[in-house]
This record gives sequence, structure tokens and C-alpha cells, in this order.
Amino acid sequence: MIDALFTDSDYVAAKKMLDVSLLRHQAIASNLANVETPNYKRLDVSPSFEAQLRQAVAGQDSAEIASLQPALAVDTGAISGRSDGNTVQLETEMLKLNQNTVENTLETQLVSGSLARLRLAITGKG
Amino acid sequence: MINLLTGIDSTSSALDAERIRMDVIAENIANANVTKDVDGKPYQRQEVVFESVLRAQQDADSPDAGSQTVQIARVQRDSRPPRMVYNPSHPDANKQGMVAMPNINIHEEMVDMIASSRSYEANLAVVKNARAMAMSALSIGRHS
Repeated sequence: MIDALFTDSDYVAAKKMLDVSLLRHQAIASNLANVETPNYKRLDVSPSFEAQLRQAVAGQDSAEIASLQPALAVDTGAISGRSDGNTVQLETEMLKLNQNTVENTLETQLVSGSLARLRLAITGKG
Repeated sequence: MINLLTGIDSTSSALDAERIRMDVIAENIANANVTKDVDGKPYQRQEVVFESVLRAQQDADSPDAGSQTVQIARVQRDSRPPRMVYNPSHPDANKQGMVAMPNINIHEEMVDMIASSRSYEANLAVVKNARAMAMSALSIGRHS
């Protein structure tokens, strides 16, 4: 069945990571919007999600990977070096923003690559 | 409606807020020497107060719940006392020849202005990256 082509655990993981990169972008957008708001605490994708995903990928369980739901959480590890209680640091945030965009490009290429191989298998030409 | 540009709500609210902040700074610099405002007193420095707002219209169980936008809570007057300058020939000088000038420090305003334009740029970078991600998402599966 063609289903099997789309349930490969790597493909499902790449798709899930695409969702995660968009969610992380949302968090960074929120952080940068509030870079000067007193008492704002920076957001990020919740760290428990990463641990769950790692476990699911190690087990190559596509259904489990697909069922994972990333969520946003306040980054409790961020330290406020400022007197207004805000934990956002502009430079770190900009680096994370660019890193996240590159990750997103990588993941779209992984997904595209899977689809291109599928097309090659069906038609015999790239 | 689907949202192609992730985080655009937060970013646009921040751009709006920074624009207003810049307007207030411009007003402060423009009025740095105004000794008689509409109320007859020297102009008083104004400053904006930012506050974060949970994004409207989002489900509590949607994955991006918790992301925030920013808005100007209020524009408040700076209560520091006016700067007293000795200038007996000034029409608003008091008996001792002192003139009450606005409590504005040009250097402070310039620093605020730079901070404001830096965070404006940072937010523009967010849109640029969101656009790049949307474009690469749209090209998934395209014949190369």
C-alpha cells in the first residue's frame, strides 16, 4: 500500500519537526515583540516535547511520533540580567530566529526529498 | 483564515508599538525647549509603557497557546522636576532670572530612539524569516 510510503518514521519525524519549527518561530516572534515589556518571560517549545520526540524516533514508532503535540511554555532556564524582570535577550533571540529558519529549510528539503524519491519510484524519472 | 506567516500577529503589534514610541520620542525632542505648554507650564517629558497581551482568538488547547502580542498600555508624563536655567532675558524668567525648561535630556531621548529602532529592525527580521519559511513550505514537492 502507498500508505507505507508516508508512514516511514523519518518522514513523519521531519513533518513533525516542521510543525515544531513554525511553533518555535511563533515563540520567538512573541519574545521579540515583547523585548521591552517589563516582567515578560521568554517562551519556547516545551522541553518535555523534545525528550518525547527523541524517545519516539529512537523507537521508530511512526504512530507515536505523529501523535505527539508540541506546546509553548515559559522558558524557566532563562535568567533575567535586567532590572525590569524581562528574560528576553535580543542577540540570543536573533540567533535562535536564524537557526530556526535554517532548521526549517532543512526539514522542508527532507520532506521534498522523500517525495522526490517516491516520484522517482513511480515514474522511473526524476 | 489560514496564517501563512507564523507570528505575524505578535510582530505587527510590536511594529505598531515601536512606531508609537518613536512618535513620542519625536514629540519630546521637538518640545525640548518649550517653556509654555498648553497648560502654561513647561512641557513635560512623556514616556510609553509597554504591556504584553495574550493573542486574541486563540484556543486554549491550540499548540501556540501562550504566545503574546504587545501594546502600549499608556503614555505617561515623566514627573521629574523641570530643569532650571539662568536666562534673565527670557520672557518666562522668574524674579531670580531662572527659566523652568522641560525635563528633557536630549541624550536620553537619542538612546531611547536607537533602542526603539533596533527592536523595530529585530521585528522586521522576524517577518523576513517567516516569509522565507513560508516560501520554502510552498515549494515542498515541487519539481526541481
